[in-house]
Amino acid sequence: MSHAEVWVVAAAAVFGIGLYSLLIAAHLLRQLIAIKVMGSAIFLVLVVAAGPIDGALDGLPKALVLTGIVIAISAIAFALALLVRLAEVTGSTSLEDDADDDR
Amino acid sequence: MNLLIDVLIAIGLVVLAWQALVGGSLFRGIVMFIVFGLTMALAWARLGSPDLAMAEAAIGAGVTGALLMIAYWRLRALGASRPTPRSRLRARLALGVGVLSSVLVAMIGLAAVEAIGPGGEAGQALAAALPATGLGNPITGVLVIFRNLDTLLEVAVLLAAYVASRAALGDDKAALPLPPAQDAPLVGALVAVLAPLTVLVAIYLLKAGSQLPGGAFQAGAVLAAGGVLLMLAGRLHPAPLCGLGLRIALVAGTVVFSGVGIIMLALGQPLLAVPGTWAVYLIETAMMVSIGATLVLLFAGSAGLSGKALR
Repeated sequence: MSHAEVWVVAAAAVFGIGLYSLLIAAHLLRQLIAIKVMGSAIFLVLVVAAGPIDGALDGLPKALVLTGIVIAISAIAFALALLVRLAEVTGSTSLEDDADDDR
Repeated sequence: MNLLIDVLIAIGLVVLAWQALVGGSLFRGIVMFIVFGLTMALAWARLGSPDLAMAEAAIGAGVTGALLMIAYWRLRALGASRPTPRSRLRARLALGVGVLSSVLVAMIGLAAVEAIGPGGEAGQALAAALPATGLGNPITGVLVIFRNLDTLLEVAVLLAAYVASRAALGDDKAALPLPPAQDAPLVGALVAVLAPLTVLVAIYLLKAGSQLPGGAFQAGAVLAAGGVLLMLAGRLHPAPLCGLGLRIALVAGTVVFSGVGIIMLALGQPLLAVPGTWAVYLIETAMMVSIGATLVLLFAGSAGLSGKALR
């Protein structure tokens, strides 16, 4: 296995764990962490797939990922504000329907 | 030997992702997520991208971790109910979806590794065009010169996220007071050393960013870390009003960046053309100040900051 393949396989596993957790976690905070982790996995694939690892030639995907890291924290910060507001208004930390809601 | 180190870090990433996301308490999950972020930084360093390693450690692990922790703390203080766990059937379905998506990402990634081969065309064009700009760091070149519309909009997105957070949180009830600062003698001494050091490191990263790994984002994140430190030590407090200086700091990146770009348009150059290395420094300094201020205010969850406690 080459270096690139090791990173791609690890990133794929991390992505799968993230999606699994996103689907089973009931707490919105945990779901946000899952989204962040999935994003990190995709960043890893993006940089590794772009080119040589030792020569460090291709700066373009790295710059894109640097942009992505900042966009990710912007989105997370806004989502956390919404989550705190949701908890303030409804007292709940989940988007699940109530148990007595028969649907 | 090199491959072995990569394999170890890669296994660490997978295990930490599992620890952060599946089972265990939420608090433990957040801590594990921060460790995951730091391990990602190690991975970036192994991949020859110290810029990304610094950004991931400072922003991805550090500031994101601080935001998650403070949100967790606020949710606890609000006494929000904990949701009931999902059904078994759903967990089984999710397992299948997770495994399939994992295989999909692996197939796409492996195909991309084989298809593109060493150095994409864009990367080669970048390496060829970089010396003419006077910059030595290709990432700074892409961010401030070649793809600077992306970067301008990115700073705007950060500002928009702050404004939207303020709108969502409404009044300052949500800006809970941080735990009261203990007046332990060590805290004061630590802050006296660390706070000036964060400013020094930030300015160094900014200056180094034109030739060496570093840049406005890493520098801004270090500044933000300094601000968070001051808040945790009880030297800075959330305030209900945003002072003039802070407002200028919040919009400096967007205004200076777009201002330089529009002036160049008026001078007959393309929109967002960068007139020289001095302009790169000017833009990056403004962005650093904006990023630092925005991240600290997002952590504070308040409109402004003040040196005195409200209560």
